[in-house]
Amino acid sequence: MSGPPLHEPDFALHVEDLTVAYEGKPVLWDIDLDIPPGVMAAIIGPNGAGKSTLLKTVLGVLRPTAGHIRVHGAPPRQRLRRIAYVPQRSAVDWDFPTSVLDVVMMGRYGHLGWLRWPGRRERERAFAALEQVGLTDLAGRQINQLSGGQQQRVFLARALVQEADVYFLDEPLAGVDATTERTIVQLLQQLRDAGKTLIVVHHDLQTVRDYFDWLVILNVRVAAQGPLGSVYTAENLRRAYGGKIALIERAATAPDTPERPLDGPR
Amino acid sequence: MMAALFNNPTLMIILTGMLVGVSGALLGTFLILRRNAMLVDAISHSIVFGIVVVWLITWATSGPVQILGAALAGLLTVFLTELLASTRRVRMDAAIGLVFPALFAAGVLLLNIYARDVHLDTHTVLLGEIGFVWLDTIVIGGIEVPRSVVWMGLVTLVNAAFVIAFFKELKVSTFDPGLATALGLAPTAIFYALLSLTSATAVAAFDAVGAVLYIAFVIVPPAAAYLLTDRLIPMLLIAAAIGIVSSISGYAAAIALDVSIGGMMALMTGACFGLAFLFGPRYGLAAQVWRQYTRRYADESRALVVHLYEHEGSPNAGRENIVPALQQHLDWDAARAEQVLRRSLRRGLVLREGSTLHLTRRGREAARELLEY
Amino acid sequence: MSLLAALTNYTVQNVLIGAVLLGCVSGLLGTFAVLRQQSLLGDTLAHAALPGVCIGFLIAGGRHLGWILAGALATGVLTAMFVVLMVKRSRLKTDAALGIGLSVTFAAGVVLLTYIQGTAGASQGGLDSFLFGQAAATRRSDLWVMGAITLASLVLVLACWKQFKLVVFDPLFARSIGLPVVVLEVLLTAMIALAVVVGLQMVGVVLMTSMVIAPAAAARQWVNRLEHMVPLAMLLGVVAGVFGALISAWGNNLATGPLVVLAASALVLVSLLAAPRRGIIRERIDRWHARRALGQRQILATLYKLAIKHRDRHYPVELGMLDSFFGLATRRALQRLEQQGLVARVGHMREEGPHWTLTDTGYAEAERLTHFMASDDGPTRPGPRGRGTPEHG
Repeated sequence: MSGPPLHEPDFALHVEDLTVAYEGKPVLWDIDLDIPPGVMAAIIGPNGAGKSTLLKTVLGVLRPTAGHIRVHGAPPRQRLRRIAYVPQRSAVDWDFPTSVLDVVMMGRYGHLGWLRWPGRRERERAFAALEQVGLTDLAGRQINQLSGGQQQRVFLARALVQEADVYFLDEPLAGVDATTERTIVQLLQQLRDAGKTLIVVHHDLQTVRDYFDWLVILNVRVAAQGPLGSVYTAENLRRAYGGKIALIERAATAPDTPERPLDGPR
Repeated sequence: MMAALFNNPTLMIILTGMLVGVSGALLGTFLILRRNAMLVDAISHSIVFGIVVVWLITWATSGPVQILGAALAGLLTVFLTELLASTRRVRMDAAIGLVFPALFAAGVLLLNIYARDVHLDTHTVLLGEIGFVWLDTIVIGGIEVPRSVVWMGLVTLVNAAFVIAFFKELKVSTFDPGLATALGLAPTAIFYALLSLTSATAVAAFDAVGAVLYIAFVIVPPAAAYLLTDRLIPMLLIAAAIGIVSSISGYAAAIALDVSIGGMMALMTGACFGLAFLFGPRYGLAAQVWRQYTRRYADESRALVVHLYEHEGSPNAGRENIVPALQQHLDWDAARAEQVLRRSLRRGLVLREGSTLHLTRRGREAARELLEY
Repeated sequence: MSLLAALTNYTVQNVLIGAVLLGCVSGLLGTFAVLRQQSLLGDTLAHAALPGVCIGFLIAGGRHLGWILAGALATGVLTAMFVVLMVKRSRLKTDAALGIGLSVTFAAGVVLLTYIQGTAGASQGGLDSFLFGQAAATRRSDLWVMGAITLASLVLVLACWKQFKLVVFDPLFARSIGLPVVVLEVLLTAMIALAVVVGLQMVGVVLMTSMVIAPAAAARQWVNRLEHMVPLAMLLGVVAGVFGALISAWGNNLATGPLVVLAASALVLVSLLAAPRRGIIRERIDRWHARRALGQRQILATLYKLAIKHRDRHYPVELGMLDSFFGLATRRALQRLEQQGLVARVGHMREEGPHWTLTDTGYAEAERLTHFMASDDGPTRPGPRGRGTPEHG
């Protein structure tokens, strides 16, 4: 296939004309999406807007009807080493017989190759990651003894040891305590400052402005995308969330959030 | 005349099979809908334990005491399984798989110790011998009637009476246990009654088809019926009909091939299921694959229409709404792109002008409709 | 037969080796089945082995274990795939699909069994034994086949250890790092069929269900690592197998299969009750301690409230009054509190019976407790000393 260079390899995530149909119903309609490297991007939208579907399609779990996806200029399958994924906490059985440290080391499996077992190097990296999320004390703990917030931090630590460039996180702040939320957000911001890209499915309109600097509002189509300041407007939110006005009024028209564009946290 | 009827082995064998099929279908329909199919498996294995214990105490191999004993063993299985699962140290499926083999093993061991060469050998327990049902008869009103037919007939009547009398309760507690509780319909009691009848029927059917083949008669016809209808009463009727058809065809096939009659009847329920699974009008595999294909084509056409609509009149329309874009942007390979394009042209959604693509009015309307739901 | 004589008996030796191999393979492969919540797939595949046994017999023209096991493996894997197909491609749920797979394949097995009986004349070559197993009929050559399968599955599990672990724990993540999840899942399912195949000779198709589940379920209660669970499940499988085989040899040739299964079930029961951390007994003891500590805290709080009400730090409360307030005997709880120096006995008026009062430490403790209970963010504060610490916040 030749032609002009259509896909900007400069983008961390470049999605073009993506349509995903799931069991006959289209979940995403011809969406175009660009996320530059080095930002902390939130994907928000009402329930059933296709947020998780988008993530799963990027990771190759779902196959699109049409359209293509590039991560740093190549199909995601060729970029597996540069992608880290944090699934929703509820995606796994936390009674599985394994330890915190072990789960974190799973992040190295992709780098380890088929037959090699994780060794001391992997363990050291895992410990370092646990230190970053503040869970070194629990390294040996069986995972069913963790609180929800701790589980989330373990997942984050696992993503950290992947040493990726693009991080996809599916609702990492859902149902976690305030301490965990703070820890996670700080960590994510550190990663961003180190030049990594974070793409976060987020549910809480209240905190979007405080944490993120890039915003994608999704509702089957992309309602708006861009730097947070120019995108986070009541108008855009209303377009995506439709009837659920009350929520938006509170979020976007609170005293410190006038209709005009807002400054990002940067 | 009646006597001649009950003296006809062929008729008696087929009748027994039919009764097993019908009584199984009556219960199985609700068990399938409640997602408790594997409890049938558990119950029918562990009633062996009940049968052996009752036999050791009373030396009865059939009759009301046996049926009662087996019903209790069935309830014991369900109770122990739920108890085990309620400790939350093992999951429900593992709990089932722990309880019934243990009871079954205990039953087999007891047989092994006390009954090395009696009627109740392990082989019969599992397989039954429907071919011999006409040999064991009792006299009712001066007519010799096979014992199995009597018991199966009684059990079928009881099951039918239960389903008819508690139809409303069964229906509500199957589809919405919460609502059933709210309405005071005692779904738990209904559930346990259903399982008791399942075990009682298993004992009555046990001489004829054995423990494992009984499972086929309870689960398979209702499962097949479930693929053919969405309504409860037709499902019951279809399931019963499948049981009857399987008995007749199974008997014929078994005689022709000189193989186990009970086994062949059970296998025939499987054949009926296979047909329903493959060719069921709405839920069959063929219908599904067909639907999936048409849906995929439709989705692809829709994707194209929406794509063209989104970029119509935009500055980059010259780059997006052209034939090569199908491959470069929508990521379709040449063959697929060609196919989608041809389909959309044929359906009058798209117009082609050189390599540029335009929406027709119909196409534009379709896109607008899709985007606004 | 005495135990020693039994051990030197050639047949018994065969049975013992067979039991060890069975225990190993069912513990090893059953662990993954149980963790994948596919316990009952083992049940279905065990029943599905019967037609395979018959087909193997028909192909080989006799009771040739290699062919028979190959047949059983083939029908097992086919049935497993069909079950998956049914769940994916119809509105039936897993339980119905498993039940259909189980009963229809078994019916096919029965039909084939009688067909072989019909054609092969009187000798059906002991195929019946595969229903319940016939450990005593185990030959040395059978053991080689079983051993080879055990070794092969061990190698497979060790080679793909971390992949298997990840696919079972978190398939979505496994996909995201590029593991061939579908291939691995098919392998794991095929391994259940493999375990079943090894058990056919020893315990038969019907009781194999238990051997897939029981050792793994028992092992899970004692350990918290997959790396420990697999060897322990293997060990428990071996213990059950050897126990069953020995009792059978010793006790006048009782059927081995049921004995092995009952031994395995007993191991599960013991593990559920007595395991050190997850055991039910331990849980009961913990709960009892917690209730006792709660009772003590409540008594402290009551004394504290009365003290506040009467504006007297050391307000004496009569034992009988406390008893009737709590509706049970509080004397023992008070004695324990006294040992901790939190309350003291006072001889208020002799004829009125024993009275109790808070000590200074007790008053401080009660004060802290009341605030602790009043504020909801309890767990972030340091708990009260000793057993009273609420561990589940």
